Amino acid sequence: MTAAAPSRTAPPTSSLAASRRFGTFATTFSLCGPIAYCLVQYFNLPLLTYWPATGRLVFGYDGGRSGEGPNMLWYGWILTAILIVTGLSLLATMLPERIIRKIPLALIWILPILVIPYIVYSLMPWWIMAAK
Amino acid sequence: MALDFAGESEAREDAVAGLISTNTFWTLWLFVHLMLAVGLLGALTHQAMAVALPARRAAGGIVSRFRAVPAAGYASAVCVLWLLTFIVGSYIYTKYRVQIRIPLEAAHYYKTGGFFDFKEHVAAMGLLLLPAYWYFWKNAHNPDYDNARTGVTLVLAAMCWFMFIVGHVLNNARGFAS
Repeated sequence: MTAAAPSRTAPPTSSLAASRRFGTFATTFSLCGPIAYCLVQYFNLPLLTYWPATGRLVFGYDGGRSGEGPNMLWYGWILTAILIVTGLSLLATMLPERIIRKIPLALIWILPILVIPYIVYSLMPWWIMAAK
Repeated sequence: MALDFAGESEAREDAVAGLISTNTFWTLWLFVHLMLAVGLLGALTHQAMAVALPARRAAGGIVSRFRAVPAAGYASAVCVLWLLTFIVGSYIYTKYRVQIRIPLEAAHYYKTGGFFDFKEHVAAMGLLLLPAYWYFWKNAHNPDYDNARTGVTLVLAAMCWFMFIVGHVLNNARGFAS
């Protein structure tokens, strides 16, 4: 069907792309990433909290403080999620190949779609205020 | 443990204040973010079209040629562009939180604010998909990855379009200079 065959290339020349172990790391990282991010956000586990109005950076979660403006947890959530999935991915590289092969790769693109309802739900305060 | 970057941030803004206004400074960064996003959107759209609707002939009309790009060659560029767009976006996000979001809330633009937060979550999840995306494209000769590669590419392209539209609407609602 694909006379132009745009997506076929020669085997990878980069050692990283040719490495099976990196493949396991990359697929586990992306597979667990969206779930880890949503869990970190749900349990509110930021690695750091940033106060943009005062430029203050605090490790871990830091709630509201009078006179310092709003805090930002997003950076902290991403960093925590990256730390968790890096750990999981490193563990996955130690698993036998036959177990890794059983993981359906389609989950990598299905899971980000499945978490959308949770993301929408987590933003409920915005939608409630918009509806008033 | 707390670190204080307030002095550093003020010094940076003072340094540019002699040349350009603070609003211009942040508008320029927003423009850089936009340019990177346009590049990313173009690359991902080409790639998504190439995998979803592969061209039967390399030559033909503009749509056929749009689909007939060597899609694998875009993978590293897409990763670099996503990362750069993300870093610049994260930088201007600090100013957005104080200078844009608070007035947006005051003006009852709740849906706009909500969609912007949605966009930030999508950007983070897209970032986490990049390692597998890169690996699948660098192993495009391997048919085992065909379906996953197509799915990840289409999801990233959809995410990119969503973020681009939300960012554009937000900028129309209240840009840095407004």
